[in-house]
Amino acid sequence: MAINWGFNIARPRAVDMDANDLSITRRIMAQMPEFQACIACGSCTATCTAGNLTSFNFRRVHTLVRRGEYEGAYEEMGKCMLCGKCRLSCPRGINTRGLVMLIKRELEDK
Amino acid sequence: MRYFDSFVVPFAVGALILFAVVLWKYANWFIAMPRADKKRVARGIFSRRTAEAVGEVISESLLHRRIFRVNPLLGYMHASLAFGWFLLIAVGWIEAAAYGLTFSPLWVHVFFRWFGAHYGLEHAAVWGIDFAFVMDLLLLFVLSGVALAWAKRMRSKMMGMRKTTRHTPGDRIALSALWFIFPARLVAESLTAAIYDNGGFLTGSLGNGLLRLLGPEVTVSAEPVAWWLYSSVLCIFFVAMPFSRYMHIFTEIPLIFLRRYGITSSEKESSFDHFQVEACSRCGICIDPCQLQSQAGYDRVQSVYFLRDRRYGMLTESVAENCLMCGRCQNLCPVGIDLNTLRLNSRDTLRNTPNERRYEYLRGIDPSHGAGKVGYFAGCMTLLTPRTLQAMERIFSAAGEAVWWADREGGVCCGRPLKLAGETDSARRMMEHNTALFRKHGITTLVTSCPICLKVFKEDYDLPGIEILHHSEYLRRLLDEGRIGVEHGAESFTYHDPCELGRKGGIYEPPREVIRSVGELVEPAQTRENALCCGSSVANLAIDDRNQEKIAVAVAGHLEATGADAIVTACPLCKKAVSRGSTRPVYDLSEIVAGHLKESAPADTPQA
Repeated sequence: MAINWGFNIARPRAVDMDANDLSITRRIMAQMPEFQACIACGSCTATCTAGNLTSFNFRRVHTLVRRGEYEGAYEEMGKCMLCGKCRLSCPRGINTRGLVMLIKRELEDK
Repeated sequence: MRYFDSFVVPFAVGALILFAVVLWKYANWFIAMPRADKKRVARGIFSRRTAEAVGEVISESLLHRRIFRVNPLLGYMHASLAFGWFLLIAVGWIEAAAYGLTFSPLWVHVFFRWFGAHYGLEHAAVWGIDFAFVMDLLLLFVLSGVALAWAKRMRSKMMGMRKTTRHTPGDRIALSALWFIFPARLVAESLTAAIYDNGGFLTGSLGNGLLRLLGPEVTVSAEPVAWWLYSSVLCIFFVAMPFSRYMHIFTEIPLIFLRRYGITSSEKESSFDHFQVEACSRCGICIDPCQLQSQAGYDRVQSVYFLRDRRYGMLTESVAENCLMCGRCQNLCPVGIDLNTLRLNSRDTLRNTPNERRYEYLRGIDPSHGAGKVGYFAGCMTLLTPRTLQAMERIFSAAGEAVWWADREGGVCCGRPLKLAGETDSARRMMEHNTALFRKHGITTLVTSCPICLKVFKEDYDLPGIEILHHSEYLRRLLDEGRIGVEHGAESFTYHDPCELGRKGGIYEPPREVIRSVGELVEPAQTRENALCCGSSVANLAIDDRNQEKIAVAVAGHLEATGADAIVTACPLCKKAVSRGSTRPVYDLSEIVAGHLKESAPADTPQA
């Protein structure tokens, strides 16, 4: 019998870097090398205007994209309003707004 | 055929191609213009606007008043070429007419020195005018411009230009042809003057000199060669003209008329844009004011290159997106091209992807609270500068204002950043959402402390019955009406004009008056229309962090050079950006007002 605990646990899942197609990731990295400096601190997500209103999690999406997991990323990125707060809070000085647009541009053609 | 010689053929062919291409282009652009624009033309054509346009054509297309304002020598150079050449054509026409050749072929007027001599028209003062003298004087006027143009190539600083345009090969061909037209004309007319003795003070004396140098035989055989050369250079220039930067010579004229009839560019590309794009002379006046060039070293993104790339269909996103849209170049453009709007609608063409389902999540979202006729929209950036928010809270409470807080606990973006990114259709979703919120809460005044939001509220939102105010205007009103009182302190402040508020919003005085009410105002060297951009504009989607910081440091240094105790600005984004480069405190306007409120605890009073 299923018990409702009020929360649930994500199903165990492995990101297989060998199986994943990293070609889009490489293209993104080549166009925005500073993205490699991301330490996944989550400041972008903490200040995110869209994230404040929805379950949109920028850190999660860009981390998955970096690892070659593109499914649903385009639709998720569509939630971003490009307000630019993430860019001001990024401690690594990454052009996060440009990154959103770049990821969308690269995934559109997939 | 009377009045003909084979050397006029290159000229005639060139002129024919030129007028055919130019008229073909204008006809196509005009036909493709939206019906509403054509109606504006129809309404304006028989009005005062036509006369005003004629006046502007004379002052701008011929005399180049706006270039004189940039630099007098540069203005003289352009005016001597444009106005001088125009006078050569016009006076040449009058001269031919004086001999009764009013309706003869075009080349008779243009090459009148040759035709007058070879067809035995007596050289004398006609109508009491010594045309040979007048034409020589005009030629000298034009030649002085050509000499200056040569000098400018070597030392542009002489004309106040730190950098000039890097031209395309096509432009270089046209440019070289243009430079050779008038020296070629001088030599041709001088040789004819030497043989037929019909020259003025310039061609006459040069002709005599050449005759002495070359001897009569060589002079006679060199004469047709010189005229062929002159005609051929004209031909090269005419053929190159409609495809090169020199398309601006004619295109500025229809542009001035269409602009006077009220036609403007908008966030979507339209056929009118062609007139703007091809009216660019690539003079490069837009390069020097560009901070991306002077501070960040981006050399290929300035308006001149953007327009060139767009015109020849080779615009890339990296060029279109790398612009702060600060408007400093637009402010100086001698043709008055609406550079920011063109950049914007290029982005729309490159990026806009209409998607009705995008931002579905906005439905029903309303994190606002409070109630009042005055709505305060902090804007995303103000939420990142909480001191501004706190200062506004204190001011509202001191003034006893009942406030509806639109987004203090987080809200929906105003839509301008998306619009600036070219996603204009998606931006509409945000505008609709926020408009519905403003209506639902029945506000009559909308105050925002973010100039980016202010601009979009004023220009893209449809908010009849709601007064839209920047907080600087609102604060000034509170002070004027005596609803808040402030102590005048001893500190001195310098003020940084945010681009979206000043150049793009025309709000210069209110923040200054507010500053003067609490302290001394010291203006930086570059101020108001010429104010520098902080470098962090949301309009630039490509600039990297290092370069943003470089610009911020330069701007902060410029502001600190005033010696003021603190820097004040009226935009949360400028505040964040300038703070990065400044060693002095940087305040939002609201902070210094809140800090100087009478009967209030001076908790965060700016200390000098």
